[in-house]
Amino acid sequence: MRGRRALHLDPRVRFATLVGPGALFIVLFLLIPLLSIVVFSFWRTESYELISDWNVNNYEAVLGEWIYLKFLLKSLAMAAAVSAICLVYAWPCAYLIAKHGGRYKLVLVLLTAAPFLTGILLRITAMQQILGPIGLVNMALMELGAQPIQVLMYTNIASAVGLIYLWIPFMLLAIYLSLFNFNFELLEVAKVNGARPWRAFFEVTWPLNWMGTAIGIVLVFIPTFAASVTPRFLGGPNGSMFVNRLEHQFGSAGTWALGSAMGVVMCVASLVVIFVLWRTVRLRRAGFTGAGA
Amino acid sequence: MAAVNPGARFVIGGQTAMLLALYLFLYFPIFYIGYLSIMENNVWPFPPVFTGEWYDRLMIMSDFHVGLLNSVLIGVGTASLSTLFATAAAIGILRYPIRRRGVIVVLFLAPLFVAQILIGISTLMFNRNVLGIPGNIESAIVANTAYSVSFAFLVILAQLVRYDWRFDEVAQVFGARPFRTFREVTFPNIWPAVLGAFIISFILGFNNFEITFYNVAAIPTLPTIAWGTLRHGIEPELYALATIVNALVFLLLFIIYLLIRVGALRLGVPEE
Repeated sequence: MRGRRALHLDPRVRFATLVGPGALFIVLFLLIPLLSIVVFSFWRTESYELISDWNVNNYEAVLGEWIYLKFLLKSLAMAAAVSAICLVYAWPCAYLIAKHGGRYKLVLVLLTAAPFLTGILLRITAMQQILGPIGLVNMALMELGAQPIQVLMYTNIASAVGLIYLWIPFMLLAIYLSLFNFNFELLEVAKVNGARPWRAFFEVTWPLNWMGTAIGIVLVFIPTFAASVTPRFLGGPNGSMFVNRLEHQFGSAGTWALGSAMGVVMCVASLVVIFVLWRTVRLRRAGFTGAGA
Repeated sequence: MAAVNPGARFVIGGQTAMLLALYLFLYFPIFYIGYLSIMENNVWPFPPVFTGEWYDRLMIMSDFHVGLLNSVLIGVGTASLSTLFATAAAIGILRYPIRRRGVIVVLFLAPLFVAQILIGISTLMFNRNVLGIPGNIESAIVANTAYSVSFAFLVILAQLVRYDWRFDEVAQVFGARPFRTFREVTFPNIWPAVLGAFIISFILGFNNFEITFYNVAAIPTLPTIAWGTLRHGIEPELYALATIVNALVFLLLFIIYLLIRVGALRLGVPEE
């Protein structure tokens, strides 16, 4: 009886009982499937069936053949550009809400996050009605007797606008949460000590909020890099991205092993981005405390 | 307070303009599609000529009702599982400060850092080739939960950090068993956060395309119907569908906003 009671009260047992089911679920239905495609990526496909014949041909194709590599580089460039634009645009907005939002902070932030929940497809449908050939922008220009803007009609630029539209809320939210916990009085200290506003920003605000910013970059970079719907419906004839090639392997092509290898490459590329940003978080912190010594 | 100097005022003015432009960018397409859904002419709907035809056509679309039902099923299933796992985990993590609990937090947030399409294809491949399970509503619910649980976890954790666990300790000192403590003390205090997490994960499961698409085989859901329609060139019915879904999402979000207010009061935190 005493033994049972002691076991029952052990915080570690209680912790495991509460946390265990969810943790197990994530391991079973997220991590193990992801690991399974690592295995499949070393197999080959024959007439729509996977065959466990170990080889590295899929990786040779993805990383060695220009038709795949080209799309990989293009997707990386697109993700980098979209993340950069979101970063530069979201920072001042998040800063304004965090510093001057007062009692409306919560409403102002929820308003930027709300459109994210209306679903990717419906948001891209809405974007098509603004940017496309018969979209509002170009129809209005033609009604006014002006030339339609060609770059907005089914191009990579239109794709980028659509991706910014989809994911900028994540960037804003991450930066806002960081600034929400930031002590703005530090800026007053910097000012009293003679720092100009820009210097105070780059030496106090930016480094102390870099971690939140880095999380925002990752949260935008990953879905943008993996975007399939946006380039498909806004990108036009030259809009195809790495993921559209990947989807092709799982669709009509039925080359599951090659598709798995492309998925693994995507996953590794995302992990490299996370790792690089994580390193900068540590370096910046060390640099910051070092400066005060 | 010291007078704001012209430079600072200029900066605040610029930031305000940027934020207003962002709201316009985010909301104009959503309102415009709502406007299009009641316009007879969808190409250049000025001056406006109203019609309810697109809604009528949507209602008689054979797939629409089945798709709606399936999306609701996926939403409710995803939300139930996600909320259950997330609530238990958040309580465990906040209440029992075990060493290395950081690892568990990272595990619960990991799905946020995996592209949805990778979750979609990897679960498809695993179910098909290892478990031999065909695509259906249940596998879509499981795969969606693996993603939405992170959001539910964040929503609950963000609100529970302010909860005072001494309430529970008092109940246990007076002899309440853990489950009874939860039912009679913890839950009545934290229900707004739990309901908020349920609504968020419902919306995510209901609207999800990339995970659901690879896991439901040919079973129609609202997002896959929208995808099929978009592929064959846009139909005005899609505007009606989008408007209905958007209205539903904004209604649910308004409820969440009220819940956060109620939750803040319940947790004894003064309003900002």
